[in-house]
Amino acid sequence: MQTRVKPDPRVIFALVFGTSSFAIIIREDVVAVLGLLVLTLTFAMMLGVKLGRLFKRLKRLWQVLILVTLLRSFFAPSGIVLLALWDVPLLTTGGLAIGLLVSLRLIIFIIGASMFTVYPARGLIQAMVQMKMPYEIAYMVSIGLRFVPLFAEQLRDSLTALQLRGVVIEELKLRKRLSIYTYLLLPAIVSGLQQAKELAMSMEMRAFRAMPKRTSYFKLHFSKWDALMLFGVVALCAVIGYAVFNYNFYEVIMMEILEVYY
Amino acid sequence: MTDNNFVLTISDLRFKYADRYRRSSFELVVDEFAPKPSVCTAVMGENGSGKTTLGKLVAGILRPASGCIFYNGVDISDLKLGEIGRQVGYLFQEPSRQIFASKPLDEIAFPLELRGIDKEEARTRAKKLLDEFELSHIINNTTFTLSRGEKQRLAIAAAMIVNPKYFVLDEPTTGLDKQRRKILAKTLKKMQENGMGILLISHDMEFVEAMEAEIRTMKGGRLLDANKS
Repeated sequence: MQTRVKPDPRVIFALVFGTSSFAIIIREDVVAVLGLLVLTLTFAMMLGVKLGRLFKRLKRLWQVLILVTLLRSFFAPSGIVLLALWDVPLLTTGGLAIGLLVSLRLIIFIIGASMFTVYPARGLIQAMVQMKMPYEIAYMVSIGLRFVPLFAEQLRDSLTALQLRGVVIEELKLRKRLSIYTYLLLPAIVSGLQQAKELAMSMEMRAFRAMPKRTSYFKLHFSKWDALMLFGVVALCAVIGYAVFNYNFYEVIMMEILEVYY
Repeated sequence: MTDNNFVLTISDLRFKYADRYRRSSFELVVDEFAPKPSVCTAVMGENGSGKTTLGKLVAGILRPASGCIFYNGVDISDLKLGEIGRQVGYLFQEPSRQIFASKPLDEIAFPLELRGIDKEEARTRAKKLLDEFELSHIINNTTFTLSRGEKQRLAIAAAMIVNPKYFVLDEPTTGLDKQRRKILAKTLKKMQENGMGILLISHDMEFVEAMEAEIRTMKGGRLLDANKS
């Protein structure tokens, strides 16, 4: 059973900022990124994020992992060669590590973003405003997040419409398949922009920004428990920072493996 | 009337939306539905009664939880959407949702090119179809700037390029003026005379009457018997 702890959204902003930053900063240490992912997953579970549904949607990341692994192994081989055709390395431990690293990074970003979904939009906007972010920007961020599924839906509908005109996408060659995505992207973006424009007009009709400052009865209260959790997040980031700048966990493990095999 | 060999049959169909759509209590039930070939069947009913869901199931966009949909006796559950699209056309409730190209000509020609038809040939066919649907004047416009009525006609024209044997139209008259409705009814009647069957989802009684459609009613996710409709 998942335990649900729901701290102030500002704690989550700090947590996601920390984990995402480390996911970018850590360059080659795949083991450290894996540890970071485990941490992010633990926090997401504690917050009550529906991870099962999220992972179902991440199924296609396998394709990214395989593609990056193969490209990296082929063009910049490093580590132990696991698979080779004549003298050309097809799969190396270095390539596999980089492929994993890219995928793990993406997963950390996605899980980080999913942590915000447990909060209502109003709470997130208020958190940003109370962090001294201008209201307009905070509101734009919140609306922008809601546009992501709309954008995905638009692309899905376009693909459906295309198939309903007798195009069997599964039978097309890779080059043609790629041309479909580039073809559909521009109209989807324009449609998104049009919807955004209509939304902006509708909001201005309802007197959005009529007064210089927008006030609110709703305020977030930063409790002692929140402060403690924020302190925990900062301390955790310090520990992770110390560990990743002083150790290379991947190298340590690889050395162990090399010692065992050679 | 041209003889049409396309027969649509639905039996014991059940469909439920996944929980994430928050319509988990809704269930679509169609025990038996077998419209006569080349006939226009109008499905009417209140909002949320399942008309669009039924249309999407017939066109293969949604897949049933149980039961079967047959095209000429062939169960469509194993067919890919593209294979279904070669037999059944679909017009979305909101035409902008199915227009994916930035130019009207590309909207019609691009799927043909993907199917291996020569670019020039695809463009010639597309121009001819735009002519038929009185859309030649918008050939150089971008699709984003078209009026709703023009988008509607373009979407229908684009769906017609594959010569579907059956056509599902979801609220085709929304946003069309009286004159355009007449033109649309005339166009659809002509296609029907050429042997195409039509499933018309609509609230527009006048249009349904103009189409001389057989009316079926949906209520709470159930397609009522013909005599109750």
